[in-house]
Amino acid sequence: MKLNDKTAEERVVAKHQEALQRGFRTWPSLAFDRPPALGDARWTADLILATWMQAETGCPPDNGLEYQVGQSGGGFDALAFKFLPEEHWVPAHEPVDTSIPLNRRPYDKQIQLPIPWYGAGMSYGSISEQIMLARAKAARQWNTFTSTGEGGYPESLVPYREHVITQVATGMFGVREETILWAPIVEFKYAQGAKPGLGGHLLGDKATTAVAKMRESVPWVSLFSPFPFHSVYSVEDHKKHIDWIKTIHPGALVSVKVSTPTDVDMVAVGSYYAGAHIIQIDGSYGGTGAAPEIAKKNIAMPVELAIPKVHRFLVQEGIRDEVVLMASGGIRTAADIAKVIALGADGCILGTTELVALGCTRCSNCERGRGCPFGLTTTDPELSRLVDPDWGAERISLLYTSFQMQLCDILRRLGLCSVRELRGRIDLLSYHGRGGCI
Amino acid sequence: MSNPLPLFAGGTFKHVPDAGVQVAKSASSPAQPVGSIPEHSPSGPLVPPPDAYHRYHIETQTAPDIVPLPSRFRVKVKKHRLIAMVLKELFEVKGDLQVALSRPCVYGVFSRPVGGLAPREELCVGCLRCTVQYPGIVQIHPNPQRQQLGDSFIKPEYIDTILYEARTGRVPVRGAGYRGSFGGEGWDGLWTDMSEIVRPTRDGIHGREYISTTVDIGEKPAFLHFDDRGEVVGPVPKMITTQVPFFFDVPAYTTSSEPLLQILTAAARQIETLAIVPITSVIQFSLKGQHIVPLIAPAAWIWLDRLSWSPRMLVLEGWDRERYETLRRRFPGSIICVRVPMDTDLLELVQYGPRVFHLTANYHGYVDDQFVMDLILQAHRRLVDAGVREEITLIGGGGLVLAEHVPKAIICGLDAVSLDVALAVALQARFNGDCIDRETASLSFPRLNTAWGVQRLKNLIASWQDQLLEILGAMGLREVRRLRGETGRCMFQVDLEREVFGEQGGTT
Repeated sequence: MKLNDKTAEERVVAKHQEALQRGFRTWPSLAFDRPPALGDARWTADLILATWMQAETGCPPDNGLEYQVGQSGGGFDALAFKFLPEEHWVPAHEPVDTSIPLNRRPYDKQIQLPIPWYGAGMSYGSISEQIMLARAKAARQWNTFTSTGEGGYPESLVPYREHVITQVATGMFGVREETILWAPIVEFKYAQGAKPGLGGHLLGDKATTAVAKMRESVPWVSLFSPFPFHSVYSVEDHKKHIDWIKTIHPGALVSVKVSTPTDVDMVAVGSYYAGAHIIQIDGSYGGTGAAPEIAKKNIAMPVELAIPKVHRFLVQEGIRDEVVLMASGGIRTAADIAKVIALGADGCILGTTELVALGCTRCSNCERGRGCPFGLTTTDPELSRLVDPDWGAERISLLYTSFQMQLCDILRRLGLCSVRELRGRIDLLSYHGRGGCI
Repeated sequence: MSNPLPLFAGGTFKHVPDAGVQVAKSASSPAQPVGSIPEHSPSGPLVPPPDAYHRYHIETQTAPDIVPLPSRFRVKVKKHRLIAMVLKELFEVKGDLQVALSRPCVYGVFSRPVGGLAPREELCVGCLRCTVQYPGIVQIHPNPQRQQLGDSFIKPEYIDTILYEARTGRVPVRGAGYRGSFGGEGWDGLWTDMSEIVRPTRDGIHGREYISTTVDIGEKPAFLHFDDRGEVVGPVPKMITTQVPFFFDVPAYTTSSEPLLQILTAAARQIETLAIVPITSVIQFSLKGQHIVPLIAPAAWIWLDRLSWSPRMLVLEGWDRERYETLRRRFPGSIICVRVPMDTDLLELVQYGPRVFHLTANYHGYVDDQFVMDLILQAHRRLVDAGVREEITLIGGGGLVLAEHVPKAIICGLDAVSLDVALAVALQARFNGDCIDRETASLSFPRLNTAWGVQRLKNLIASWQDQLLEILGAMGLREVRRLRGETGRCMFQVDLEREVFGEQGGTT
């Protein structure tokens, strides 16, 4: 350890940072088998360790770790691709295109993503500035995006603004004219999957002076984002919102993030007619922040069931090719990404997966005391320094590398040369759910 | 339009205002019919004094567990390796004790002076930071003792949740998304809906906007008939309004002790709900009050003569037309509820007058091999099809052990639920084997202190009411009464899976 030229506090942080990074490298090698208390039905120990390994190596594991599905018994974990016989695969020497457009309308700025995903909104306050920075750096490396979430736009992100989406949510925290002007994409958050219909809640312990300053609120006082937008009671009001953004920043694309109620298909169509370029449907099994347990499990439907519903309705309405449908909420692996697209989305948005790459064990103690003990979902100055933004960016970037490699492999084995050909190909999937095989 | 079924049971009308905010009126007693038993005043102030401002609110207060729970995790440290590691680090940092002795746990598991040599397992939250940093030295294991809590239906995580709610009165909140299975059997195969825009705001959840959780129990005739003077002709329908749709069911036979019943009835009084108590216990322990609902089992019929006061409601266990008529005559001011298994054909019974039913399933939520969710849907739907649902009150119990089960049961068709095992868990009862039904369940309670027990139940109900508000708020409903039978506001997993994966003809 090279600790001598640092202050005592820095030496303590450096010691633990080094030990943690060593642990993230060591555990996936299975030298100590699987940690007995790690994982749950959705994120099994294997999936967590496999994600750590991919974030370390840029490749899927080859040591027997299951890296594609969890054990939730349904949804992504019960979906499987019907791969073609090997003689029909796309040859390895032929290129496979994983890019998608983020604007399917014939007007406004055309943005192309080289990979069909970008980073989810996670606010400053719910995660540390170091994590935001790591995500932004990775987004720049991959020419994709990350989102501010609803907590303001730290100055440190400004150099990465071409890859940062500004989120406008009901609390309007940190929404200023310049943060709208910086953004290539502005994201309206109407609802979020982890707590549909309940708004946001930042516990007082996390509302540090820095966080409060960013949100223009009182330090150490809990912050509620109300639900819904008090200025939106109809699709017409929604259009007014979009017009407002377009007035301030005519060049910005507009994304609308909604949850997955039973009428999510109609909500999507309404958003399209209001002028949205991107519709993000956020399923109920995702989420990175603290949420009531009753909401996470019981309100609104999982995204796997919502995507086909929305996709088909957009097709029926004849507008599917004019709007980009992005899915989020519980998407963990490259296989999940491919399944999301086969179900009907253009691409997806990753949140928890990036945090797992940075060391999240999904212990669910984000809201407790000083926050995440790994320095992820915390505003504690000491804990947040456990993650070096450059180290974090590298981890996320390597994970992306592995995901893209796997996505190309899936496409080849389905005989497809482009991820765009996979969209809505539910016929390429089989479902082995509770009710038997379909 | 004539009503095909008799609408009124005889009796007097007692109205409890339906409002979270109310200025209480004087609790004037209705005229007592000739021959009826005079009603005694309740043992506590159920109705606030005249002209007092009263906003319904359940006072919560921390009520710690009195029986220590096994820790969630076991912390296993290889002590020789730990000592070697500390010495190695001391060498590397040239004796800097602050660095060498700084510990990875932020929850204090290694906070004793000897650190990892004597870990404080009870503080471990399973974050695994220690084991990530030092895999060769420390391992965290789920505690097998913790996994043995509950029975085959009440899973250990259910126990954890109920105990947290009873301890704190708060809504369980955790980070990092959902951790469980995708849908599942029973209640897990149903998701509630939400509304993206037009709805009460989150203010409702925080009490700044009123969302009603009151329910009406009693006779709800489609029409009232008035004479020339504007007076109601015939018996006035009887109704009870409670502020929450949760009632306390009779405890298991083996556990009906006086301390437990004192806790249940005192908590029911303070929460302003109802506790169903065997009439034998009502007499034996001299229990009385508007919050007590005597249960009259066939074998306990003879105890009826010793009931010296008139409850707001009585429950007749099992259908017996003669006894039902007898109860109506003897307690004209009381609502007579009929308690029957959940698969009973209620239309058969409705024609004889009952308007309030308590539908029961076993503690695991089954009647034979049918789950309560399906049985509630069937019972509700039959009454709707017969055009009498609005006149009937359905209370249901069995298999309702988590806060999320309440709105789901109401969506399926109940007006209110009765709670059983969840109350026992809140009071830290220990399961002795599978607790399947009231007759055979064996539960061991700790030595019960009334004040502690009452607070635990108040906390539990406060937490469940708040969680009900979360669900209602997300849906945009301003009152739980509107939720009843609203199957359009829920999604069944089996339907969605068929819709999504069936249509495209996907094959295996």
